[in-house]
Amino acid sequence: MSAVPLLERSRAADPDAPTQRVIDATLRCVARWGLAKTTVDDVAREAGIARATLYRLFPGGRDALLEAVLAAEAGRLCARLDATFRAAGSLEDLLVGAVVDVATTLTGHPALRFLVAHEPEAVLPHLAFERMDAVLGSVAGFAGPYLVPWLPPGDDGSSPEEGGARAAEWVARVALSYLVAPSTGVDLCDPASARRLVRAFILPGLTPGAFLPDQPTDHSRGGTPTHA
Amino acid sequence: MTPGLAAVGGRGVVTPGVVAPGSPVRARVLEATYVCVARHGLAKATVEDVAREASLSRATVYRHFPGGRDELLREAIAWETTRFFVRLADAVSGTSDFTGLVEEALLFARRAIDDHVVLQKVLRTEPDRLLPTLTVESLKILVHIRAFLIPHLEAEPRLRPGVDVAEAAEYVARMFLSWIGAPGRWDLGDRDQVRRLVRTELLAGLLEPGAPG
Repeated sequence: MSAVPLLERSRAADPDAPTQRVIDATLRCVARWGLAKTTVDDVAREAGIARATLYRLFPGGRDALLEAVLAAEAGRLCARLDATFRAAGSLEDLLVGAVVDVATTLTGHPALRFLVAHEPEAVLPHLAFERMDAVLGSVAGFAGPYLVPWLPPGDDGSSPEEGGARAAEWVARVALSYLVAPSTGVDLCDPASARRLVRAFILPGLTPGAFLPDQPTDHSRGGTPTHA
Repeated sequence: MTPGLAAVGGRGVVTPGVVAPGSPVRARVLEATYVCVARHGLAKATVEDVAREASLSRATVYRHFPGGRDELLREAIAWETTRFFVRLADAVSGTSDFTGLVEEALLFARRAIDDHVVLQKVLRTEPDRLLPTLTVESLKILVHIRAFLIPHLEAEPRLRPGVDVAEAAEYVARMFLSWIGAPGRWDLGDRDQVRRLVRTELLAGLLEPGAPG
């Protein structure tokens, strides 16, 4: 589960550090040629360093390098989200900001764009079934705690931490769905569009007593939520 | 009655006309492809195997699927994905309100995925071959789920004023696909959890919490 600790390394990297130079070079190579065709030699040449130096920095070779790239990019996104979470003055602003951060980061990422367009097999398997569960688990672990102070107490006996993790996972699903299969009516890179979506479908589920009771009949009115 | 097992034989679950495979020969080839994948996996299924399984010549298979093996596999995944959702629509046809419909759909879909022997086998052994195509084909189903949901939502008396039905149906369709593929923190085999999920994250924005007034 390499994805889990990735999101915890959210410190911004020094762009002049040799490792970061290699990581940036890798991203440029992938944006140009894709993942399958990018070799360690390509990256070393792009970074202007010797092959031996690259192997000294990344003793695991190509796999270790790619893992470091993924960790660095996840860390960059997390740093950006951290700033958004801290600056938000309301739950709505926090969610809208986070969704827009994720959307603009992913859609504006040249290497990721190349992969989605030309090597979907490198990306899509991570967004389904168990691997998607792992992605969602990482997001919940990273973003959940930021949400806790904003959420109403759970009405099903769940802890505040569980509530935060659930909400984070939910918002991540919404964002990923609209990003992986773009919608005609929703553009999450546009803050106004993201706000509309958050207001319409997410916030109502995060307000106190959001649980929908059974359909009220003429005899029993749904004043009190019926809990499962 | 596990849908996954029924699908291996491919007969009697839904009539070929329902899933519109194009022609009887096409349906026969897709079914044969599916059987070959179930037996040998995606990597080892060949046009020769499929032709033999369908009792057709290779030339006939190529006439219907000029793209050969790649096209066969892609179309077979699309075909089985469509059949899955046809079974699902059938399974939820008896529900009375929108909340019940979505609850039953989640319960059925998750169980059908867990019980789908061929899907589980290929997911285990060849995920990288299956998932790009399966993801793309599932997303194509999105518009159909949305279209299926719209009249049900329109008929829902508790619909909140101001809700755009088409937008709401799309949201539910997307979240539905997301949850059945990767349930995350939720156990979709547990009816109480499904009830909670549907009544908070899925529909809280769409329906009025209680009776008006």
